[in-house]
Amino acid sequence: MMQQEITRRSALKRIFAAIAATGAGSFITFDDLLAADANPRKAINVLWLHGSSCTGCTCSLLDIEKVPVVDILTRFAHMVFHHDLSLATGDQVTETIDKLLESEEPFVLVVEGSIPVRMPHTCMVAHRTMDSWMQRILPKAQACIAAGTCAAFGGVTQMEGMDTGSMGLLQYSYYRGITTPIITLPGCPMKPEHFVYSVLHYSTHGAPPPLDRYGRPRRFFGRTVHDRCVKYADFQENYFSRKIGEDGCLLRLGCQGMVTRSDCMITGYNNNTNVCLRAGHPCIGCSGENFPRRVMFHTYDDTRDIIPRRV
Amino acid sequence: MSTKIVIDPVTRVEGHLRVETTMDGNRVQSARCSGDMFRGLEKALKGYDARTAQQITQRVCGVCPYAHAETAALALEDAMGIRPEPNGQLLRNLTVGTYQIKDFLLHFYTLCALDFIDITAVLGYEGRDAGLQQVRGWVQQELANNKVFPAAPFLPRYEADYCTDQAANISAIKGYLDAIPIMADFHKMVAIFGGKSPHPVAIEAGGVTTPPTLDRIAHFRTLLATCAPFVREQYTQDVIAVAQAFPGYFREGRGYGNMLSYPYLPDANGDNFFFAGGVTIDGEYRALELDKITEDHTYAYYYDNSSPLLRPLQTDTLRPLSSVDFQAQQSRSDGKYSWGRAPRYDGLPMEVGPAARIINTYKSGTNSELNALVNRFNRQLDITIDDYASVMGRHLSRAILANLTLNHMERQLEMLQPGKPAFSEHPVPRNARGVGITEATRGSLSHYIETDSRGLIRNYEMIVPTTWNMSPRDGSGNQGPVEQMLQNTVVADAANPMELARIVRSTDPCIGCSVH
Repeated sequence: MMQQEITRRSALKRIFAAIAATGAGSFITFDDLLAADANPRKAINVLWLHGSSCTGCTCSLLDIEKVPVVDILTRFAHMVFHHDLSLATGDQVTETIDKLLESEEPFVLVVEGSIPVRMPHTCMVAHRTMDSWMQRILPKAQACIAAGTCAAFGGVTQMEGMDTGSMGLLQYSYYRGITTPIITLPGCPMKPEHFVYSVLHYSTHGAPPPLDRYGRPRRFFGRTVHDRCVKYADFQENYFSRKIGEDGCLLRLGCQGMVTRSDCMITGYNNNTNVCLRAGHPCIGCSGENFPRRVMFHTYDDTRDIIPRRV
Repeated sequence: MSTKIVIDPVTRVEGHLRVETTMDGNRVQSARCSGDMFRGLEKALKGYDARTAQQITQRVCGVCPYAHAETAALALEDAMGIRPEPNGQLLRNLTVGTYQIKDFLLHFYTLCALDFIDITAVLGYEGRDAGLQQVRGWVQQELANNKVFPAAPFLPRYEADYCTDQAANISAIKGYLDAIPIMADFHKMVAIFGGKSPHPVAIEAGGVTTPPTLDRIAHFRTLLATCAPFVREQYTQDVIAVAQAFPGYFREGRGYGNMLSYPYLPDANGDNFFFAGGVTIDGEYRALELDKITEDHTYAYYYDNSSPLLRPLQTDTLRPLSSVDFQAQQSRSDGKYSWGRAPRYDGLPMEVGPAARIINTYKSGTNSELNALVNRFNRQLDITIDDYASVMGRHLSRAILANLTLNHMERQLEMLQPGKPAFSEHPVPRNARGVGITEATRGSLSHYIETDSRGLIRNYEMIVPTTWNMSPRDGSGNQGPVEQMLQNTVVADAANPMELARIVRSTDPCIGCSVH
């Protein structure tokens, strides 16, 4: 029995290596990863920091059912520091970070929220700006996971009218000339499955899953919400909902599904309990590059643009 | 000689918080609480469509987004001069009630319990619970392997007077682990009518956009029945056990004792609130007068060319300090020290939150169910209603509110009328003003909106629970409520100032909300 188990695992590993070599890594499923790697010695160190954030992505992480949170903490990831889970407080936090950087232990950095650059003093940890922390930590990380829309694209912290000059991690690393690979997981909040899959993939294969040009895993962001929408047939038949509560495609009420990449219509939110469109609310594009827009909810006869001219 | 204790960052609270105390021996002489993050969402909203306020303001906070969604919708409804559809009102109550109970669990177990409960007690666990066995095995292995960060995130921690009762420790650690899937279920209940959670989309001015179909109601009812026993039994018992192990904390962190709360959880028509609004000042309960609220920015990092005493919506010119001026203020001992502003009621700093809601509702005498439950706990723990304004009183208040809200939700779920609409559309009002008030997880929340001739936002303002609690000093020199709570606290070990951390966390600070 034991013999069989090991054979199966090593066989799976060989298959994954082949899949990864052919560039078809987005076919590796969640269950494949869980089966392939239950080895606690391979748990990667994770350092989770907050920039200008709201903690929504952390709350979302705790919702995961695919893998119990206890398993994540005790088997798959070694959470060196997390602002909302760690018992460490005050100086213990800065000591932990210093020790991690000095130890040369490999680690993956997770950033929730954006980094203000024009007004760096608007986000401080231990009397130092988040910008200065990031300049020190980001180059030393093996990889960086930008958790949520703020960390990926700026999100609400970069909406028109903001003074702070906040940047998502892609823009920030380019601006600071830091070349650490960045995995972006947009979504407001980030979906916990996206995060755990990326972490598992990293610990199993030592590399992120296949990414698109914005650093998003293709497996989750390869298609738009519209492509997989439950109301897609209504759209094709030009059957549009005129007001909330009616059947039909919600495009004329402001739906952003056409320009928003995510797997919302396949895996939904909250362990596929529901998702905005299934609840009858137009997509507000929360995982998109243009989020938030100045108008997110239209009346049927509203003449303002729904789909941005430049996408 | 006076020394200083600095806790920065304060973890297991939402956002970037710094607490600094000046000590007289081992006693706190004075305290300063700094909210160290600023985004500027409310002023950036200018020029946005009025309906986007709901979606954007809830993103100030991922822990209590529902409350901002509800309050933004209320403010816009006030400007429209309408009330939500009765079904919409009930769905909102169910959504916000659910979310609030989830937040109470998150606060007690994930954020606070391990300040009182000894996590290392798990090493002595001899029972058969799979989760506890897994954690025990893992901690043993971590400690034996000489890792660089053994048993993170549970170590390192402040070494302090943790609970020594093995049964209470194990029960609460089990609660810590079991609460995680229960919280996920509560989030699912929010998602049934809200669309998703965190950040439910469906609470719009006019009601809730998700129709209450029979299958959704049934799904909600099933999950509610699954989660309710955890709240009524495990959570309530664990809070009582911690309260019995640390009775001294009914006298710690008392603060000013001035309590503010807004009316919360109305019936389907928007009347007859389950929890009363009002203020308690010097032990006396009075009715709420919203126009007594002002905001002061003497010690907040903003340029203040206007009067420091502002009423909501009176300014749209408050600008954040530039980096150079920020440094200049920091180098002065009497300089500005927080991004949070200082709201005051009739010039007084007020505590808001679960304790305020319990005390005001109790004193108003409008909710006999609440008074009966409070009296029962008072007898069991040998305390009075005045002891609720304390570290342990706040934890107990949350447990009481969770039980009551659960009862209320079970009743209101059965009042939904499937097949009838929950949302009605109304034009966005032009040149109008509106105010929305409610109780968020952490206390009194208000949004103010002003629209222009095209229905776009001309001005927006939010006064958030943590803005009240975590406010800095005001122009008259009054400390903020939490600063006052910290004063005179005795710290046994300056290297492990657990007493201060317990006081700060008992108010469940949310810096993301407070500064926005």
